[in-house]
Amino acid sequence: MKYIIFILFSSLIMGGCSIKNVKSWEKGTLAKDSMQSNLGNSLLSKFEKHVYFSKEATKGGGGVAGGGCGCN
Amino acid sequence: MQLKKLSILTALALSISAIHAEDYVSVQFLGYDEDSGRSTVFSPIFGINKDIGADYSFNLSFGVDSISGASPTFYDSVSGASAGSRGVTTSNSVAYGDIDYDDVRKFVSLSGTKRFASRDELLVGISSSDESDYRSLEISSEYLHYLDSSKNRSITIGGAYQKNSVLIPCHGNPQCDSESGASKSFDIDVISGEIGFTQIIDKTSLFKTSVFYSLEDGYLGNPYMNIVRNFSTSPLIEAERKPDTRVSYGATLQYTKAFSDRLSAIGDYRYYSDDWEISSHTLALELNYDLDDKWSFGSGIRYYTQSEAEFYSENMDYFTSEKYASSDRRMSDLSSINYKLSTDYKLSKKISINSAVVYYDQPDWFNSIYYTIGAKYFY
Repeated sequence: MKYIIFILFSSLIMGGCSIKNVKSWEKGTLAKDSMQSNLGNSLLSKFEKHVYFSKEATKGGGGVAGGGCGCN
Repeated sequence: MQLKKLSILTALALSISAIHAEDYVSVQFLGYDEDSGRSTVFSPIFGINKDIGADYSFNLSFGVDSISGASPTFYDSVSGASAGSRGVTTSNSVAYGDIDYDDVRKFVSLSGTKRFASRDELLVGISSSDESDYRSLEISSEYLHYLDSSKNRSITIGGAYQKNSVLIPCHGNPQCDSESGASKSFDIDVISGEIGFTQIIDKTSLFKTSVFYSLEDGYLGNPYMNIVRNFSTSPLIEAERKPDTRVSYGATLQYTKAFSDRLSAIGDYRYYSDDWEISSHTLALELNYDLDDKWSFGSGIRYYTQSEAEFYSENMDYFTSEKYASSDRRMSDLSSINYKLSTDYKLSKKISINSAVVYYDQPDWFNSIYYTIGAKYFY
């Protein structure tokens, strides 16, 4: 648990260092497929997870963390 | 069997695609080959995404996995190389080798997203998979809430419940009530949750983090994996036994940065720990490059390392009367590395084609290549 707390704490500090107020019309780059894993190919990402799940003993953490770029 | 299981992550991952909603149909052909042909998988997957106005999106995906290959485990060489080759034997008859298997899995996932006036999003998903010895049904939901008016900061809370049923061969398996050789069905319930936080840092970078938790309850062993007990006195080959519950948790970090209009990078880290004494670290880096309006190229590297489960031993002369015992290699102290190349080509405004190849290596165990080719049609 101490690792999780450390990671979250570090993350928030790092994220707070130089945050800009980005307007919706300035999010074109953030919305590109190349800003996503596997160039936005979710089916490949899904298959990768199956491979890792079948060959390694651990899983988790790929689910809800991807939301919220406000690109819609 | 594990390869074929629809995970909670799968349904939740579909929700992410819904965030970048568009109307399209897609098809993807996936292949997987281990060295020496030990395991092969071929899987066509189909996807449909549909927006209804600006407030609703629906995503449907379905497909089939055709799997054949072999898993290494202990067996009695006198009665033959099969997972059911169990019982009291002699030390000279204990063998370790690949047990053949093949199966077909059918799976389907459906999710719907509702966007509110605040642009917060509620997603609900359902997934199902079916194969000869395993069934899975899962429901999941997540809520995305923007924390500021510019929608640069958001929190996502998600949860899922998975109900699984596994059919295991009873011969040589003490967890069955009888030794008749018949099969018996066991349940596996999985509850999981994840909380994510996303922060847009500037026009070219964003940061994500999450914490996750999972509780598994039921028959968590692999029904085709065997162990050896009392090797030096009276060797007994029987089914492995893992604990009936597993509690895991972890955290992720992701940083995405566009260095220019064309070049971007994604860095990932994941920490995992569970009450089987397994912990793992995963590091991944991807570099993506947009050559022009049509061609995009991606490359990636991933490193993974895990510690050993407390009940694991690969040694045939180790287990005696322990309650929990496994020689499943996936429970061992291991590491892996993989390299990935991918490309996407926009044939027209409505059609794009993609392909990827990945080399996956677990040193001293095996290596594999998986590859994919697919197309997406926007309508």
